[in-house]
Amino acid sequence: MPDSAGEEDAARLDIFSLDDVVGPDLAAVDWAATGLGAPEGWPQSLRTALGILLTSRFPMWMAWGPELTFFCNAAYRHDTLGRKYPWALGRPANEVWAEVWPEVWPRIRSVLETGASTWDEALLLFLERSGFREETYHTFSYSPLRDDEDAVVGMLCVVSEETERVVGERRMAMLRDLGAASAVRSEQEMLTFAAQQFGRYDRSFPFALFYLFDDGAARLAATSGIAPNHPSAPTVLPLTDTGAAWPAAAAAKGEASVVELEDRGPEPLPTGGWSEPPVRAIVQPLPGRGGEPIGFLVAAVNRYRPLDKAYRSFIELTAGHVATGIATARTSLAQQRRAEELTVLDTAKTAFFSNVSHEFRTPLTLIMGPVEELRTRLADADPRTREELEMVRRNGLRLGKLVNTLLDFSRIEAGRMGARFAPVDLSALTAELASVFRSAMERGGLGFEVDCPPLPEPVYVDRALWEKIVLNLLSNALKFTFDGSVRVAVRAEGGHALVTVADTGIGVPEHELPRLFERFHRIESARSRSNEGSGIGLALVKELVALHGGTISATSAEGVGTEFTVCIPFGRVHLPPDAVAAADEAGAAPGDSTADAFVHEALRWLPEVEEAEPVVSAVAGTAVPAHVLGVDDNADMREYLARLLSGAGYQVSALGDGASALEALRHWKPDLVVSDVMMAGVSGLDIVAALRREQRTTSVPVLLLSALAEPEASIEGLEAGADDYLTKPFSAAELLARVRAIIELARLRGHHARWRNALVETLHDAFFVADEDGTIMETNAAFTEILGYGPEGLPYRARYPWWPDPEVDAEADRLFGDAIARFLNEDSGSCTVPVTHRDGRRLWVAATFTGIVDPENGRRMSVGTFRDVTAEHYAVQRDAAVAAVSLRLSRSGDLDQALRGAVEEVRTLWGAERVLGALFPPGSDVPTITAAPAGVGWETLEGGLRDTLIDLRDGPPLVARRDLRAQGGVGVSLEGPRGILVLWLAIDRRPFSEQDRLLLSVLAGHLTQGLRRAHQIDEQRETALALQRAILGPSALPPGFAVRYEPAARPLEVGGDWYDTVELPDGRIGVVVGDCVGRGLEAATVMGQLRSACRALLLQDPENPGRVLNALDRFAAGVSGALCTTVFCAVLDPLTGLLTYSSAGHPPGILARADGGMDLLEQARSFPLAVRPAAPRPCASELVPPRATLLLYTDGLVERRRHSLNGGIAKAGLALREERDTGVEELAARVMARMRPHDGYEDDVAVLLYRHPGPFETVFPARAERLAQVRDGLRGWLERCGLSGETTQRVLVAAGEACANAVEHAHVGRPDGFVRLCTEAFAEHILVSVADDGSWRSPRRPRDGIRGRGIEVMRGMVDDVSVDSGDEGTVVSLRIEVE
Amino acid sequence: MMGAGLGLSTSRTTSGAPVLRVVGEIDRGNSAEFDAAVRAGLDPSAGLLVVDLSEVVYLDSAGLSVLFAHADDIEVVVPPLLAPILAISGLDTVIPVRTAAGSPGTE
Repeated sequence: MPDSAGEEDAARLDIFSLDDVVGPDLAAVDWAATGLGAPEGWPQSLRTALGILLTSRFPMWMAWGPELTFFCNAAYRHDTLGRKYPWALGRPANEVWAEVWPEVWPRIRSVLETGASTWDEALLLFLERSGFREETYHTFSYSPLRDDEDAVVGMLCVVSEETERVVGERRMAMLRDLGAASAVRSEQEMLTFAAQQFGRYDRSFPFALFYLFDDGAARLAATSGIAPNHPSAPTVLPLTDTGAAWPAAAAAKGEASVVELEDRGPEPLPTGGWSEPPVRAIVQPLPGRGGEPIGFLVAAVNRYRPLDKAYRSFIELTAGHVATGIATARTSLAQQRRAEELTVLDTAKTAFFSNVSHEFRTPLTLIMGPVEELRTRLADADPRTREELEMVRRNGLRLGKLVNTLLDFSRIEAGRMGARFAPVDLSALTAELASVFRSAMERGGLGFEVDCPPLPEPVYVDRALWEKIVLNLLSNALKFTFDGSVRVAVRAEGGHALVTVADTGIGVPEHELPRLFERFHRIESARSRSNEGSGIGLALVKELVALHGGTISATSAEGVGTEFTVCIPFGRVHLPPDAVAAADEAGAAPGDSTADAFVHEALRWLPEVEEAEPVVSAVAGTAVPAHVLGVDDNADMREYLARLLSGAGYQVSALGDGASALEALRHWKPDLVVSDVMMAGVSGLDIVAALRREQRTTSVPVLLLSALAEPEASIEGLEAGADDYLTKPFSAAELLARVRAIIELARLRGHHARWRNALVETLHDAFFVADEDGTIMETNAAFTEILGYGPEGLPYRARYPWWPDPEVDAEADRLFGDAIARFLNEDSGSCTVPVTHRDGRRLWVAATFTGIVDPENGRRMSVGTFRDVTAEHYAVQRDAAVAAVSLRLSRSGDLDQALRGAVEEVRTLWGAERVLGALFPPGSDVPTITAAPAGVGWETLEGGLRDTLIDLRDGPPLVARRDLRAQGGVGVSLEGPRGILVLWLAIDRRPFSEQDRLLLSVLAGHLTQGLRRAHQIDEQRETALALQRAILGPSALPPGFAVRYEPAARPLEVGGDWYDTVELPDGRIGVVVGDCVGRGLEAATVMGQLRSACRALLLQDPENPGRVLNALDRFAAGVSGALCTTVFCAVLDPLTGLLTYSSAGHPPGILARADGGMDLLEQARSFPLAVRPAAPRPCASELVPPRATLLLYTDGLVERRRHSLNGGIAKAGLALREERDTGVEELAARVMARMRPHDGYEDDVAVLLYRHPGPFETVFPARAERLAQVRDGLRGWLERCGLSGETTQRVLVAAGEACANAVEHAHVGRPDGFVRLCTEAFAEHILVSVADDGSWRSPRRPRDGIRGRGIEVMRGMVDDVSVDSGDEGTVVSLRIEVE
Repeated sequence: MMGAGLGLSTSRTTSGAPVLRVVGEIDRGNSAEFDAAVRAGLDPSAGLLVVDLSEVVYLDSAGLSVLFAHADDIEVVVPPLLAPILAISGLDTVIPVRTAAGSPGTE
C-alpha cells in the first residue's frame, strides 16, 4: 500500500492541476485562512465537485461550506468574473457577489434548504466587475452540492452569460425598426419616427436630441426622452458658440464627440429606461449625401454598458439610418414638388381625356365593327344609305384617331408606350409615308416636294410611332397652307438624321411659337382649312420624337410659312437597350388604318363638289317650300343637315364656311339660316351679326348649332340675335321641330304679331286647356305629335286614353293619378309623369300647368304645356342601372362573384321573377348556370327554355331579344371571357319596352367589359402567385415537408418571402426560410437571387449553416436591396432528426414535441444579412425528436400591428401544438387558417413544416419472398418513430399481414403486380396503408384459415382497420395509437 | 432467396422429446419451409414436439397456420414479443404455450 498522506497530496495536486488557468491561482489561495481549511482535509465530495467544475468548459462557479466559499472555472473567469479574478477565489460568495447578493441569496438559500435546483433565464444583474455597475444578463441554474454524508453543503452554478446576446438583439431590433422607415414621407415624419424609435429603446439611449443645421446654426428638430424645454435641449445652437450645451461646431465638421454629463446644472437629466441619469452622451454627426453633415444626434448613452467599439458603431449606424431617412425624405420631397408642379396641369387634362377616351373605345368598337359589316352587306343598297354609312364610318375613324392619340399620351406618360426601335432606312420610310398624302396635297392645290436621298446609315425608329410623327406634321402642313407648296426633306448632319416638313402656309405669330408644342393649345383665330382639331397633334409629335431620343423645333414667319425640323441621332446608344430590336423586327409597313384615318380626315377639309347648288328635293304640299341655308365646316354635318331638311320638304343650300355664306346672303334671302357657331374665319355669331346689321336681312331667322353645351354659349348666341340655339348632338326630330317652328313663326310674324309672344312660349311644347273636371278642351299640333291623339278626339275626358293601364303597369297608373289630382287641386305646378302613346309606347312627359279663371263664365280652367322627356328619363334610369351593375362588378374579387353580382343586380332592376346567366364554354352546349334566385341548374331547366338559351347564344351578341319561343322572357348574349354568356330574364307580366331593350343591350355591353376586367384580375392574381411560387421554392419537397405561401392580401402583391429545401448529396436536407425587405417585383427579384445563392452555398458547404450564411452575407452585400434580409438556414439529417442551424435575424423556429412540449430554436441568432458581413455567425444543433413537428415561417405569420411579436409566436406555437396530431399538409393549412387575420395577411407569409420522421413509402413486386425485405425497411422507419418495442411489433405484424394478404390474394395468377406500402407518423398515432391493384377478397367470405386469421391478427394488433375495395384495387388502412 | 432467413435445428429434451429450434422471422415467404421442418421433427413415439420460437422476432398468420395445423402434436415456446399474437389468434387455447424469458426483441 502506498503512503496515504502522499496519495492525498497527489490528489490535491491533481485537483488544482486539472486546469492550468485557474488551477495555479487556486493553489495560491491561503486555504487555511478560509472556512474550508487546508485542501488536504477537504472531503471527497468537495474534490469531486471541484473536479467537475475545473474540467468543464461551461462557465461554472460553486460555493461550498458554511461560508459558501467561492470557486470558479476558467470559462467563468473569462466570461463573467472580470476584474474580480483572482481576488474572488476562496472568498465567501456574499463578498464576491455583494452587489447582486439581494437577488442571488434567496435563490442560494432555496437550494440549500430544499435541495431543489433553480433556473433563471437571461436575468438582468448589475455586476461591478469592470470598474462600473454593468448591465449583464445571465441564464443560470443553481443546483445543490452534497457532502459525503449526503447533506447539502453548497451549490453549483452553471451559468451562461447572455449579455452580448441580449444587448446585441436589442440593438439589432432598434436598427431594424429604424430601417423600417421606408413608408415615411416627409422630413418631419422621419424625425418623429426616429424619435419614437429612440424612445422605445430608452435603455440604449436614455434620451436623444436631433439637431439639424440651418443657416449657420443647429436647430432642435426632435427629441426623445427629454422635455423640449430642458436646459440641455436648447432650441438653437449657434455654430460659433464654443460654450454651448453641445459641441455643434465640431459636429458641423463631421467630428463625433463624447460629452461628460456631470455638472449639467441643477435641472436633473432624464434617466430613460434606468433609475439613474446617464453620465455621458455622444454627439454624432448626421452624414449628408455629399459627406457634409446635415445635423447631429445627441445620444445619451447607457451608463451600465461600456462605451466600446460596438456601442460606438451602433450609434454611428443609428445616426446613419436617421441621416439616410432625412436625406431620402428631402430628396423625395424636392422631386415630388418639382414633378407635381410640372405635371399637375397636363396630368389632369390627359388623365381626364384618356379616361374618357378609354370609355369611348368600347362603344366605338361596337359602332365600327357593325358598320364595316353593314358596308359589305349593303354594298348594293341605295346611294343614300351607303352615303350615310360612309359618313358614320368616316366619323368613327376620326373619333378613333382622336381617342388613340389621347391614349398614346397616357401611355407615354405611364411609360407604357412599349416602343421597339429597329434600324430602318429612314429616307425610304419617310418618302413612303409622304406619298400617302400626295393626292390630298394635289386636291388642295398645293405643290408637294419629297426630297429624301438615302442616308449614310440606318436610323433606329419605331415604325408605328414614326408614322404618327410624319403624318401629323404633313396633315398640319396641309391644314394651314392654302397656296404654295409643302416640302418634305431628309438629310444627315452632325451625327443626326434631320427630317424637315416645310410649308408656305399662314405661319405662326412669333409670340405663339414657344407654345406651339403645348398640349391643348390652339392658336386662336388662325385661318385653317378646318376648325376641327384638339390641339394635341403637335404635342404628341414632340413626345414621340423625345421617345426616339430626338428633338423637334419649328421656325415660322407669319404669312410666309412654317418649317418643322425633327432631329434623331444615328446609332442606338441614346435608346434604352431593352427597347432596341433587330432590323428584321422593324415591324409592319406603315399601318394602313392609321394613314387612312389621317388622309380621310384631310380630304374632308378640301373642296370636293360644288355644294352651294340648291339640293333638289321632292317638295310635299302645295305651299312653296321654305329655302334653308345650311352652313357648317364639317362636310359630314353639312351633308347630314342637307339630307335631313330636304327629306322634310325644305329646299336646302349648303356652304362650308362663313365667308362664302355671307357672300351668298348678300344677294339672296333664304327663309332660314342654320349655321354652326364655331367655324374657322367667319363664325356663326359673325353671320348673325352681319344679318342683323342690314335692314334687308334683319328678319332672316337664324338657328345656331354648337357643340358647346354651356348655357352662356346659348345666351351669347341668342343675345347676338339668333332665333334659336341647338347643342350637338341633337336628334333629327328636334332639329325639324325647331326649324318648323322658326319658319312658321317667321311667317306668322307678319299677320299675327300680337300673338307672337304667346305662341313662342308654347309652340315648341305640347299645349292644352282643360276645364275644372280635367277634361281637355283644346290642344295643339305638338300635343298630337307627342301623344298621337289629335284635335279630332276632343274633348278628352278622364280617364284619358294616354293614362297608363293599371293592368299593364300599376306603378305608372299610380304616378299619373297623383299628377292629375294635383292638376285639379292646385293653382300651378309641374311634374314628370308616364303616359302611353297612341301606338302603345311608354313615354315620359314633363308638364307645367297654371290655373286661371275664365273671365266669361267664371269657371276655373287650367292651361298647361308639356314636352317629351322620355329620352332623358330613360337616360337617367339607364345611367343609374349601369352604375349599379358597374358597382357590383367593381366590388367583385373574381369572375364568378362578378357574374353572380351582375345577375342579382339585373334581377333587382327589372323586378324579374328569375334571372339566369348561362355561360357556354366554347364548343359546348352545356353551360354553367348562375341563377337569381339560386338553385337552378341546366339539368333542371325546362327543355323549351334550354333551346331558347342556345338560340340566344347562336344569335348576334348584345342584341336583346324577346319571346323567341314564347318563354315569357327576354334574353341577350355577350362574349364573356370564358365563353358566351346568355342572360335570360323571366318577366312574364311586365311590359318590356324599347327602352328596356336598349337598357339590356347597354348593360350587356358593360357586362362584357366588367367580366373581362374581373377575368383579368383573376388571371393577374394567378400569374402573381405562379410567379412567386416559381421562384420561392422547389416544386417537389422531400417527404415529411409541407409548405405554404400566401401573398399579402391587400394590395395583392408578390413579396420577398421564400422557403427552400435542398437535397444534399449525402442524404441530408438543407432547409431555408427567408424574408427580403420590401414588396413587389424588386423584392421578388432580390429573393430569387438570394434563394439561388443560398442553395448553391448549402450544396458547397453543408456542414455549417453559420458559414453558409456568412458566405450569403458577402453575396448579399453586393445585391442592392438584399440588406437586412432575414434568413433561417438549417441542415436536417432525416435519419436522425439532427438539425444544425443558424439564424440571420430571423424569428425562431418552433418545435412541437409529440407530448405537447414546445421549444423555440432561438440559439445561433445573429444579424440580418449583410449588416456585418465580416462577423462570424454562430451555429447550433437541435435534435428533432420522433413525431415532433418543426415550424419555420416568416414574420408575416406572427407579426400584427399593435401586438407583440412574442404573442404572435406563442399563438403560432399553440396552433402547432393543438393540431400536432394532424398530417403536415393539413397542419400547414390549419396553422395558416388559425393565424390569418379576418381581412387577410398584411404581409406575405411563407411557412415550412417538417414532421420527423417523414413518411415511409415503398412499392414492391407482389411476391412473398419480398416481405422480409419490406419489413426491414419498415422496422428501420419505426425505430425513427421512437415507439416502444411492443408498439413496433404491433405495427410490424399488422402491416406485414396486410402486405402478405395483398401479395397472396390480390394478385392471384398475376405475379407481375405491385403492392404499395405507405406509413406516416403523427404526434399520437401512426397510419399505415397497403394498396394493391388487384381485387381484395371480402373478409366476410367463409373463413379459409389463413385469410381470416390475417384479418383477425390485424384487428388484434391495431386500433382501427379499414378495407376500401374498388375497381382500382384495395387499400387497407391501419391506425395505431401511440401510447 | 429473397425471403426471411430461417435457422432450423433439432435436438432432444432431457426427457427425450423432440425439439425444433427456430431462429429468425417466419412469414408467408418461408412458412412452407417451416411447415416441412415441423413435419420432419414430429416423433409421436417420443411425445409432443417442442417448437422453440424463443429466438423468432416475427411470426405472421402463415406461421400461425402451420402451428394450428399441428396443434395436437406440438407445444410451443415463444418470446414475450410474440405472446400478443398468439393470444389474439387463440393459439394459446389449443396448444400448450410457454413464454421464454429474455428472448430477443424485448429490448
